[in-house]
Amino acid sequence: MDLALLGQYVINGLMLGMMYALVAVGFTLFFGVLDVIKFSHGDVLMVGAFTGYTTFLGLEAAGVHMPVIQIVLLVIASTVLVGLLGAAIAKYLILPLTNAPALNILLATMMLGTVLREAVRLFFPEGSNPKRFPRLLPDTVIPIGGFDLRVDSLMLLIAGVLVIVAIHTVINRTKLGLAIRAVAQDAETARIMGINFELVVLVTFAIGSAAAAVAGVMNGLYYNEINFGMGLLLGVIGFAAAIVGGLGNIYGAILGGFLFAALQTIGAVALPFASAYKDVFAFAVIISIMAWRPTGLIPEKVSERV
Amino acid sequence: MENTQPATAGRQDPTALPIGILAIAGMTVFAAVFLMAESEAAVGGLLAFAAVAVLGAGKLGLLERVRAAFRDHELTMHTAIVIGALAIAWVFREDHFALLMLTMAMLYLTACLGLNVQLGYTGILNFAGSSFLGVGCYTAAVLTQHTAIPPLVILPLGGLMATIVGSVLILPVLRTRGHYAAVVTIAFAVLFKTFLEVNDSLGGPQGLAVGEMTLFGWGFNSNIEIGDFYASFYMNYFLLALVITILAFALTRRIERSWVGLNMDAVRIDELAASCFGINLARWKITAFMLGNFMIGTAGALLGMILGFIAPTNFTFADSLILLSIVLLGGMGSVWGIALASAIIVMLPEKLQLIQEYRFLLFAALVILVLRFRPNGLLPRADRIYFPGWRPR
Amino acid sequence: MKLGRSFLATAAALALAAGVAQTPAVAKEKVTVAFIGPLSGGVAANGLGGRNSADLAVKLRNQDENAKYEYELLTLDDECKPNVGVQVATRAAANRDVVAGVTHYCSAVAMGTVDTYNKFGLPVVVWGAVLPDITYANDYPEVHRVNGTMINQNQVAAEFMTDQGYETWVVIHDTTDYGQGHKKYFTESLEKNGGEVLATFGVTADQQDFTAELTQAKSLNPDVIYFGGLTPIGVRIRSQMDKLGIDAQFEGTSGIVSDAYIEGLGELAEGTVAFIEGAPIEKLPGGQYFKEQYDKANYNEPPEAYGAFAFAAMNLVLDKIEEVGPDRRKVRDALNKVEGRDSIVGEITFDDHGQNAVALITKFVVQDGKWVVWEDSEYASGERKLNGM
Repeated sequence: MDLALLGQYVINGLMLGMMYALVAVGFTLFFGVLDVIKFSHGDVLMVGAFTGYTTFLGLEAAGVHMPVIQIVLLVIASTVLVGLLGAAIAKYLILPLTNAPALNILLATMMLGTVLREAVRLFFPEGSNPKRFPRLLPDTVIPIGGFDLRVDSLMLLIAGVLVIVAIHTVINRTKLGLAIRAVAQDAETARIMGINFELVVLVTFAIGSAAAAVAGVMNGLYYNEINFGMGLLLGVIGFAAAIVGGLGNIYGAILGGFLFAALQTIGAVALPFASAYKDVFAFAVIISIMAWRPTGLIPEKVSERV
Repeated sequence: MENTQPATAGRQDPTALPIGILAIAGMTVFAAVFLMAESEAAVGGLLAFAAVAVLGAGKLGLLERVRAAFRDHELTMHTAIVIGALAIAWVFREDHFALLMLTMAMLYLTACLGLNVQLGYTGILNFAGSSFLGVGCYTAAVLTQHTAIPPLVILPLGGLMATIVGSVLILPVLRTRGHYAAVVTIAFAVLFKTFLEVNDSLGGPQGLAVGEMTLFGWGFNSNIEIGDFYASFYMNYFLLALVITILAFALTRRIERSWVGLNMDAVRIDELAASCFGINLARWKITAFMLGNFMIGTAGALLGMILGFIAPTNFTFADSLILLSIVLLGGMGSVWGIALASAIIVMLPEKLQLIQEYRFLLFAALVILVLRFRPNGLLPRADRIYFPGWRPR
Repeated sequence: MKLGRSFLATAAALALAAGVAQTPAVAKEKVTVAFIGPLSGGVAANGLGGRNSADLAVKLRNQDENAKYEYELLTLDDECKPNVGVQVATRAAANRDVVAGVTHYCSAVAMGTVDTYNKFGLPVVVWGAVLPDITYANDYPEVHRVNGTMINQNQVAAEFMTDQGYETWVVIHDTTDYGQGHKKYFTESLEKNGGEVLATFGVTADQQDFTAELTQAKSLNPDVIYFGGLTPIGVRIRSQMDKLGIDAQFEGTSGIVSDAYIEGLGELAEGTVAFIEGAPIEKLPGGQYFKEQYDKANYNEPPEAYGAFAFAAMNLVLDKIEEVGPDRRKVRDALNKVEGRDSIVGEITFDDHGQNAVALITKFVVQDGKWVVWEDSEYASGERKLNGM
């Protein structure tokens, strides 16, 4: 395989991995504070992409045509709205269910995903058709040897890294992050220490959902096409990535995300069967990893209370 | 468990049995009317009526007597229910679609009873229910098309195949817990559907035709015409599915009441405590997982023959969710609850087809509401009675 | 919600108008006919266009005072999934009120359902599915088709593209019977015309990311990327080709000839070529009439490429019911005898498999956001050029 081709595969894989990692980080955040899985996360991402798309249409109609302004406003609108959506889901669906079996929350949020998906399909104008997401990034190309590096891919990668670094900083360097970590470690004690439990949970869900919104917009900018079903598989993959990496651990989520993308890319190009088997291959490896490391690659620290 | 007959239970309530029988008769009539209802208004009205009737009966203490009837006169009540099901089938003997719905509901019930052994008794999460259903269907498709194996034998073979395929997952299922266990079966569900889609030898995304059921030379896909009597060919399948459902039901009931069920319950409720008492966790988990898959696969084989045509899109992750929702809605471990939930979940979307496009949305919203406001299911499992029939004198 | 209500409103208004006009006449016997197509999911646009067109045929017939019966349309959604298709087909066929049907846009679905129609004896006319096997792999007298098959389509496609001077292809197809069929027939025809297929990739229907396949395709540097499949994947592949800087010509099949394809891509759609079996409808006199009536009825969705076929199929069915009465067997036999019958898609003649012999294939190219018949386009006149020419 020549180097240019290899470079192209690496860029493809990195882009995929970045999107998976952003989704997985959300899963891991939610699990951290509440020990719950919010399975509608992939569909929240889809809502983020559609919010961005709608904002774009609104800006066009309002006569704002500068790509830079458009992109900034579009990301702001999408993260704010989807952040609010995430907080609302936490408040009205997840918090009331925290005393029910974990399975109930998993199932309820899966159903919520269906509701979001169907709602977009039915109520967004011609929601069942694929939508053309605008190209707002420069499409210049930097030739490196025989391989063309697209500036927009590079910008998206950098944006993804920035989002993850920002989340990491918030959690480890701010007072809010301290509160989140306290709740994650022991909700009871945190409450006694005067931390507003509910607020911390809502903010965490808002942050995680906003990250998904960014991933949704990135997805749109990268593929230039969005559709109502785009979140389903992304959600499943993000969840698998978070679990394989090890829940409750942001590095695990990132590791899991890139691992899954690498598996898919390898499955598509480097293995001796048809490229369509790449998902079969990737999920089979995930199952084997779970058999080998039942609590993920970077295990969560658990103290079993007997 | 403290429910071992308080003082009143010494005397049997003489009104229990007649009220219980009446309740079954009422439900039979209701089900028949519901199947006949065409308009949205009628369906809505019937649902409202059912809700009011159940609440009213609860207020009047009738539900308590029905429960007593089930406890004290189990055989009579069960026979009454089978007669009720047959009566409905008789009413709809010429109606292909109604019979198909009833048959599907029973097969879903059988499959969910399998899930119930896994989840409701032993606590093993299985998000790949529809994949094992699919293994049964595809086994039936391949065997009916390419071999001369009698179709009746294919049914257990479908179950066997599901067990074998499922055994791949035993190691990760045994080792993982909670959400980590969930990802194993979720990954398998996605993997299975994708595999079917890309693998040409099993029909690819196009799917496969499945041969019909035959019994003693009688093809199940022919309508029944004897003299003036005419019945839809789905009647054949209805009767067979009824037999299979009764078998599955009896099996689960036996398991629940035996020491096997006791062990499984112990594993679910507290693994640590169970192993302290010398219960072999791995043995019961493997038993439950394989037995459950066997039941799902058997139901799948017959389902495939009824549908006559199967494709990977029958067996998506979303379909697995539907199976799980049935178990949760009915109430984990509660066989009657699951029976009720299967009937609702199979029939309701079909009745909602009148509002076609919105049916998934409404269905998902309904499940969320039930989970939110009735987290233990419609008919939660009753406490274990250790000595059925035993009463203090 | 909006869509459904306004559709109902139009229907009600038309029904009212028809009712007023007919009040003096004696109440006619009611006859039900079915329409089945993909009304939800990725190819819903084509399904809705077909539904509207079939609906239009029924409404026009009900306004006709000479019609012997009053027709009711039963519309069912097959979601473009074979299993769902079999279920709704069973529903329609098991309903004894339904006399005949106009069914299926998706080949994969039609392949699954033909057995059902045969089992229940429901005569149907296929309005959009193009796989040859639907009519030719069985001897069912119930199954007919007004549109042509993909064999002719691919012969013309291969010949046309090699004539333009293209030499090498990469073939991408979805793994349904539709995509597989296109791959097979196109590859065969291409070999006869001296073109070369460098690589073939199968992709699944819900795949989102095609960069791995396309990167491999790029390294082979083909003149043309051929895609056998439907609109949603077509949009994704064309868009990701651009991302990876692949400047090969993009060639599709009848499955992407829809307005949704152009809406999904915008300027990127420019220059895409695709083929449809049948005459260019706008140019036939019947096509003009259809277009006028369709516009007058104010549907929310355009008829799309196959709407005219659905209209023609429904008209044919209604004609036969008028002739022989609402009896499934008689309608079936009458349909089998159709020969040289005039319709808005040209003459219809069913051969002994119920297949309409369609010789004409129309070539389309996207020009300025519209599917334009090749011969009328600026590409044919040389003002614009296809990629790589």
